Amino acid sequence: MPEAAPAFHDAFAAALAGDASALAAGWGSGADLDAGLTVYRNTIAKGCADALTAQFPTVEKLVGEAWLAAAAIAFAKDHPPRQASLLTYGQEFPDWLAAFPPAADLPHLPAIARLDLMWTDAHLAADAEPLPAGAFAALGPDDLGRLTAELHPATRFARFDLTLPALWRALQAEAAPEAFELDETPQGLLMTRPRLDIEHRVIGPGACAFLAALTDRRALADAAGLALAAEPDLALDTAFAELIALGAFGRLIPAAPNRDQP
Amino acid sequence: MTPSPHAGVGLKPQHYAEALAAPAHGLWFEVHAENYMAAGGPRLAWLDAIARDKPISLHGVGLSLAADEPPDAGHLAALRRLVDRYRPMLVSEHLAWSMRQGVYVPDLLPFPRTRAALSRIADNVARMQDAVGRQVLIENPSLYLPLDGHEMGEVEFLAELARRTGCGLLVDVNNIFVSANNLGRSAEAYVDAVPAALVGEIHLAGHDADERMGRALLIDTHAAPVAEPVWALYGRLIRRIGPRPTLIERDGEIPAFPELLAEAERAEGMLRAAERAREALLDA
Repeated sequence: MPEAAPAFHDAFAAALAGDASALAAGWGSGADLDAGLTVYRNTIAKGCADALTAQFPTVEKLVGEAWLAAAAIAFAKDHPPRQASLLTYGQEFPDWLAAFPPAADLPHLPAIARLDLMWTDAHLAADAEPLPAGAFAALGPDDLGRLTAELHPATRFARFDLTLPALWRALQAEAAPEAFELDETPQGLLMTRPRLDIEHRVIGPGACAFLAALTDRRALADAAGLALAAEPDLALDTAFAELIALGAFGRLIPAAPNRDQP
Repeated sequence: MTPSPHAGVGLKPQHYAEALAAPAHGLWFEVHAENYMAAGGPRLAWLDAIARDKPISLHGVGLSLAADEPPDAGHLAALRRLVDRYRPMLVSEHLAWSMRQGVYVPDLLPFPRTRAALSRIADNVARMQDAVGRQVLIENPSLYLPLDGHEMGEVEFLAELARRTGCGLLVDVNNIFVSANNLGRSAEAYVDAVPAALVGEIHLAGHDADERMGRALLIDTHAAPVAEPVWALYGRLIRRIGPRPTLIERDGEIPAFPELLAEAERAEGMLRAAERAREALLDA
């Protein structure tokens, strides 16, 4: 019966989802079948939960192992893996957490989860040589209006209206802080991986604006102008030197044509 | 690279530095291909370094060859990139399914061994071998429930799959033991029936009893040392077929690296004994 095989997969999927009678049409029934199905269900639930919790170590520090494991099992029901490599599983978890009733009194948990995902993203990104120190200083005045710097393939950054980046960084320490006050000070977090180890720093609005401009391939001179507009008392030379030293940039390349001018 | 009939160890990130420093004579490492499907980063760099003086085996857990659809094209392409990068001595996958209609379940699911299933799986194995440009080994699964509708025994099914596609077999002795226990079959009869010429690799791992059902239902957890009855079956297999690359698999309750090496050394000792016994027979 050549058409039986596709029907089996549907039946087994239904049995895994809870309807063991789905296999009764030719593939089996009884207590041994139920016990076996439970083994598959448990292995699947544990596999999803282990993969997810591995992605969110900082969330785990805030809520504990048992809370996150329970959340992970609930999440996997709504968002099963879509590919066999689970290295990037859980992209929807921060948004899902925002609507997860037990997390209602933890309003900052989704942002912390987002920063954990950013870490994995930087961890798995392509390798590349970072831009060497002094590369900006060697440029002539014309170059600043003509060139831009690629972000290093592992560079990620995000901007927040609160000091969540400082909280996330504090939680990376072995001894996480007992209490932490969040300020209403805009902050960015920059992560990159110039070689094997991830570097992360809290950055200000000026550096965020600079990195955002480079993401749009704006010329270095334009990007510097936008950085100063976002943070008028920013010490540009020090800020650039820090970003280069961190390994945030890749190659120097021609800037995108300026869209503001005809 | 010709597969060396030595013992190897499943490679875990917490053992990277010790694996790199371990003396090379014969020792090899196997990784789950899916854990290295990344653009870059430290995992790939560690494996680059370890692969410089030790053979690597790429073991897939998620290609889902027994699904009712072809394997994912993106997954095959990612596997090809790993094969090109690491030049592994062995590439393997399971006789099971796990991905279907865009949803993946992290497990190895069973199916009725029908003639229709054989044709479909043979097509999928051929797709895999075409994608990676070489022979692959297919592993016998652990089974947990008595399905009706089988038209062929497992050994017969695997042998016919190999005949049709040119694939080899990865014989997981713990899976044979677990399935035989759970389904009330003879593990010895299975081990004795595996066609020697098809076997390219052997897996050894630990299992645990089900929390509710006890030892009537064993689970292939890879979270314990290899059990004594599994060592006995392994000896029985290699005395008959001769030495083959043999892997100690451990994926849970990961012990210190020397504990895994000790299990690999036990397998290595049995491989050398099997080799000496065969040489003595051939000389007699």
